[in-house]
Amino acid sequence: MFKPRPKQAEALAYRRGYMGVAAVPGSGKTATLSYLAAQLLAEADFAEGQEILIVTLVNTAAANFARSLNEYVKGDGLLPGYGYRARTLHGLANDIVRGKPTAAGLDDQFTIVDERESNAILAEAVDAWARRYPEAPDAYLAPEFVDKGHYRTQKWAEQLSETARNFIKQAKDNLLTPLDVGKLLDAYPGELLLAEICAEIYSDYDRALAYRGAVDFQDLIRLALKTLRQEPAYLASLRQKWVFILEDEAQDSSRLQEDILGELAGEGGNWVRVGDPNQAIFESFTTADPKFLREFIAAAGVDGRELPNSGRSTRSIQRLANQLIAWSLEHPHRAIRQRMPLSKPYILPTPAGDPQPNPPDDPTAVVLFAEAYSAAKEALMVTESCKRWLARNPESTAAILVARNTRGSEIVKFLRQAGVPYVENLNSSSSTRAVVGALARVLAYLADPKSAGKLAEAYRVWRRDDRADPAAAAEIKAASEALKRIKQVEDLVAPRLSDWLEDRIAENGDEGQFADLTAFREQVGAWLRAAEMPIDQLILTIAGDIFRDVNEIATAHMVALYLARLAQTHPLMRSPEFAAELYDIASNRRRFTGLSDDEGQFDPDAHKGVVTVTTLHKAKGLEWDRVYLISANNYDFPSAEPNDSFIGEKWFIRDDLNLSAEALAQLKALHDASGYIESAASLNARIEYAAERLRLLYVGITRARKALTITWNTGRGTATEATPLLALRTWWEGEREKEMTCEPQR
Amino acid sequence: MILADKESIALTEAQMAVARAPLDGKTWLEGIASSGKTSAGVARVLHLLERGAPAESILIFVPHRSLAQPYITALRAQNDYRGGHVSVATIGSLAQQMVDMFWFLVADAAGFKHPRDLPIFLRLELVQYFMTRAIEPLVDEGDYFASVRIDRPRLYSQIVDNMNKAALVGFPISEIGSRLKSALASGVEQAHIFEDAQTCALAFRRYCLSHNLLDFSLQLEVFRDHVWETPQARQYLRGRCKHLIADGVEEDNPASHALLGDLLESCHSALIIYDSDAGFRRFLGADPASARRLADRCDVRAALDESLVSGRAVKALGSQLAAQLSPSLAAAAGADPRPALITEAHRYHPEMVDWVARQVDMLVGQRDASPNDIVILAPFMSDALRFGLADGLRQRGIPVRSHRPSRALRDEPAARTLLTLARLAHPHWELPPTDFDIVFALMAAIRDLDMVRAKLLCEMLYRHGRLLPFDEVRAVAMQERITFALGERYDRLAAWVNRYINGERADAIDIFFRRLFGGLLSRAGFGFHDDVDAGNTAQNLVDSARGFRWSLDFFSRYDEEIDLGLDYVKMVDRGVIANFYLRDWIADADEGVLIAPAYTFLLSNRPVDYQFWLNIGSEGWSRRLYQPLTHPYVLSRAWLPGAVWTEDDEQRVSRETLGRLLLALTRRCRKAIYLGYSELSESGYEQRGLLLETIQGLLRRLAREERHV
Repeated sequence: MFKPRPKQAEALAYRRGYMGVAAVPGSGKTATLSYLAAQLLAEADFAEGQEILIVTLVNTAAANFARSLNEYVKGDGLLPGYGYRARTLHGLANDIVRGKPTAAGLDDQFTIVDERESNAILAEAVDAWARRYPEAPDAYLAPEFVDKGHYRTQKWAEQLSETARNFIKQAKDNLLTPLDVGKLLDAYPGELLLAEICAEIYSDYDRALAYRGAVDFQDLIRLALKTLRQEPAYLASLRQKWVFILEDEAQDSSRLQEDILGELAGEGGNWVRVGDPNQAIFESFTTADPKFLREFIAAAGVDGRELPNSGRSTRSIQRLANQLIAWSLEHPHRAIRQRMPLSKPYILPTPAGDPQPNPPDDPTAVVLFAEAYSAAKEALMVTESCKRWLARNPESTAAILVARNTRGSEIVKFLRQAGVPYVENLNSSSSTRAVVGALARVLAYLADPKSAGKLAEAYRVWRRDDRADPAAAAEIKAASEALKRIKQVEDLVAPRLSDWLEDRIAENGDEGQFADLTAFREQVGAWLRAAEMPIDQLILTIAGDIFRDVNEIATAHMVALYLARLAQTHPLMRSPEFAAELYDIASNRRRFTGLSDDEGQFDPDAHKGVVTVTTLHKAKGLEWDRVYLISANNYDFPSAEPNDSFIGEKWFIRDDLNLSAEALAQLKALHDASGYIESAASLNARIEYAAERLRLLYVGITRARKALTITWNTGRGTATEATPLLALRTWWEGEREKEMTCEPQR
Repeated sequence: MILADKESIALTEAQMAVARAPLDGKTWLEGIASSGKTSAGVARVLHLLERGAPAESILIFVPHRSLAQPYITALRAQNDYRGGHVSVATIGSLAQQMVDMFWFLVADAAGFKHPRDLPIFLRLELVQYFMTRAIEPLVDEGDYFASVRIDRPRLYSQIVDNMNKAALVGFPISEIGSRLKSALASGVEQAHIFEDAQTCALAFRRYCLSHNLLDFSLQLEVFRDHVWETPQARQYLRGRCKHLIADGVEEDNPASHALLGDLLESCHSALIIYDSDAGFRRFLGADPASARRLADRCDVRAALDESLVSGRAVKALGSQLAAQLSPSLAAAAGADPRPALITEAHRYHPEMVDWVARQVDMLVGQRDASPNDIVILAPFMSDALRFGLADGLRQRGIPVRSHRPSRALRDEPAARTLLTLARLAHPHWELPPTDFDIVFALMAAIRDLDMVRAKLLCEMLYRHGRLLPFDEVRAVAMQERITFALGERYDRLAAWVNRYINGERADAIDIFFRRLFGGLLSRAGFGFHDDVDAGNTAQNLVDSARGFRWSLDFFSRYDEEIDLGLDYVKMVDRGVIANFYLRDWIADADEGVLIAPAYTFLLSNRPVDYQFWLNIGSEGWSRRLYQPLTHPYVLSRAWLPGAVWTEDDEQRVSRETLGRLLLALTRRCRKAIYLGYSELSESGYEQRGLLLETIQGLLRRLAREERHV
């Protein structure tokens, strides 16, 4: 049972109007919001069809809200889902547009292209453009790369794709169609080369989407807002329906999200926004800015609240996080300081008697490494430390936090080699990838049915549930070895003149294996007969045969739909291509969101004695007993200093230009009819990026409950310790020294 | 449909009175679903024949051909055939027949450019084909529909839909744009969309007139404005329709109603059957209000208001849900609906599918329910859902049947095999099949050939787009792997194809399919031997290709040279929606649990013991089809010029539509409704449609009442 602490109770006193809540990490903001929703649900007498609309940042959070609210309605014999609707912004936009698709020029059957498809369409548009204008790279390549073919073609195209993607996204956020951008360009007095390039690509990209009857994620949001503004009667019906709007993680709210929710709440409506501006980490090249939430909370007519108490971490860890806020408020770089990347309130411990007291303090458990390690050395050191610690603390949780997926994959290799138990929370979760991998193996066999090796792989998939049993594992190994050696696969799967099973296995007298492979033969026969079915049906058939767990079956269903969509847009794809696609997902080369990722299955406390490898972004909202925050160098956490390097600035582009930033600046110039000065945007992007990375560091620190270790590496040899880390370390060492000197006196 | 024989035998008094009405009487029969209206209609036809009315003087008029099935079944069962045939017609079939018959009298006046040439009637596939030819260049060059995001086939189908609605309702196609604009356009962008839709409709019409093509709308217009105006035509049709039976007029359109009104003036007797809670096919022009006006032209009004089907709890469930949605639809019956309502909530969609299969298994195994008396319904039946259900039931040994009338031909494996072999046999098309297509075609074409051997054959013998003979496999060991028996069958297939390639001239594509099917694939040792489904598909493909050829043969005299075979294969490859084939519906009379979209089930008009309603969170249960270029209400007869379609209209219509649907479904259910609910839909989204809302409302009310008690 949720027992609110005093500050939470203040927020829970809400009954109507606008309220903004600034919360610190671990302050129970989501629990408070859930409780508020349940309270409103219990007290308000909703008319049929009325709901509380809960908007969250990620599906995981939406699913968590759903779970907790469903508990409240179960007692009444109602079906789950009564009285509320928990959505991400995309989910909400989808609901709005699907409620009246014709207002957005769509019909019922419009499809939403995922990231993969959208990238593929964009790549085609960029490719076509680059072929039309082979001289275009001259304007932007650094002189030493102008004559290098690889840079003129592949690298240029990659850079152009990235730039155009950001440009298109921003144009859509500004509600500008390709036609609008074209008109603005025509009217603009000067030359804006990047904007012209991107506008042409935008136009081609948009036409390709229209031809498919599809929209991308940005379109969905843009069209939702457009519909609300264009259809006042529809908006009124939605206002009538969603009597309360509760918004979680409001610090990452984009300008469009604010506008959509503002429209839905309306003047005099009921809108609660909860967030931590210090944890805004999704702002790069978007219209999101934590200042929106700060301004909302401070606005007249809004009931501003704070949730400053957190019982998550030890006092030492909280002090370190608070020091980062304090340091950032005095940031040595004036431009960053002015941007105020981090702001008060400071994190306070929970009051006495709180149901969630802070863990006992242990300053020695906060370690900030000064040593400059190579990337490999850092990985090795962290792996060994992790191994030792897990052995001593099998009932505790630990995580290694990385800034990038690629670094995560490197760490995983080290852990695997050292035999450290780990779980990944990177592009896709391990469980999703296991499901996809299993399906890929069976499909690969169906694509090459005479391959004994692939047949053996399919067999192992078929027996996947038995692998945990050592005796069965030995059987599986023996049988799959035998299968691998079959010369003529048809003698097993479709025997006519000779029967491999009868000839080889029956002769050996191993009845168990004979029975097992007989059953497998029937299974393979069924799969081969099913191989001609449409890909989604084939996947469902295979899934029915190899998965028992409901999450796995549901994920397989998502895979089936994903491949069916792919087949629709690529009618020439056949099993080998589908299998390759699944292998890409299984090996983490391509992102795929299975249900197990979406469903908030990732619960650190379910992985005791195991280390979680996760990106900082995916770690948001999670907590572990011990946290290793690694690679805290000036590459992953730059501070806009002269020797910092920036991911957005490519070495082959002249004058350290960040093309995406420059393109967006040109778009802004078009939109505001303002001036454009080359390079200014690239410099500004450094400041913005540095500010966001500072918040990311803050997020990383505040994931730890009891112990925190921060390390850094020299990257390719030139990276240095991140400036904020240096500042924190110096401060922390000073604090420790002070404590040490005080301790004997005590 | 197919009403059970026992029902057609045991008529109530009220039904009997309708059936035995005098031979010069005109009866308006109105009633709720499952009250025995069609049974009375069938009995009426039999009574007419019994009383000596010549079969050829009887016309049975229905909105959809499948609805005539009970009549046809009963007539076929008649033992004492006395010559002549009862005619069965829809407005479409009648219009086409009459235009064809009186073509040379009217073609000139109707504006056709070649009035002395024969007309080309276009069925669905060909409309899609010609639409692409006529409109595509215009859309591309004019940058039409810039703010619309729908793929081309759907774009064209909405333009066609607008033209059909104009013809069915009876306004000129030149008014489509202005009607839509004044009622719907809330901005400049939308106004442009409707203007573009208007331009394209007129362009297609011009194209049709200059090439003697008649799509459905033009057939109807020519029939109504020209053929029906000629005395000869009137005289002819009136002669054939002395006794009129029109069933399901609420599902028919104003054009049909106008014709029926005329025929009512001249016929000797008539029975007009109207379902008071139906009118579901709005998107196809159904207009119950226009149908109701026919009542004034009848001398007797009869009513059947007692459901012969639903149990007390089911009735209560239907009426309470409907009353909740729209009090005008039904008075809530007081009985407790809970015994008729079984539900279980699941998180994931596959869990729900599995639950449904288990419940059906329990009903069949433990409650002795017949699979024929169970239907599984959803607003839309995706292939994956249909397959998941069918598979789950078959694994439990429960037979399954399902409707898939609007599937693309290319999705049928048997059709794909024929198309692959057609590509192989026509190398000059330069569309060589992929290796995978060859593997599957070999597997499907050669009986007992497994995929491993098919793959081996393909790798060894499919070279440069040709199938080499089996003896090209040099190694005896490899020949043995394939086996000589299979090798011999392969050889016959390859030889057939190669003989065709080397022959003097190519067959027309439909003849090619027919020869391939009849001369080879249906023979013993080949894949389609004794396979009724494959035979049906092959026959559909032949029909479709023949229709294409006949139409295009004429057409090619007005246009550039066309390679009919190549164009046909390309058209099928694009995934055009197949024509309607009655054989697909008749095949449904098989035994088994029916899996179908809810409205398809209603059209089959067959009561059952148990219904499963799946995906109850889906908006599809209540919402009309949303299409940006067209609108069923604005383009209806009742629409007042200048009126604006509002959000209130939308909500009212949604509620009424769902209320009617639920009434219609529960009236076709005897014992219980099972609700399949998963929080996450098939695509992983949470859904909160009006049906779910209504059920939640009912559950909340019942819970409160219980607490109160």
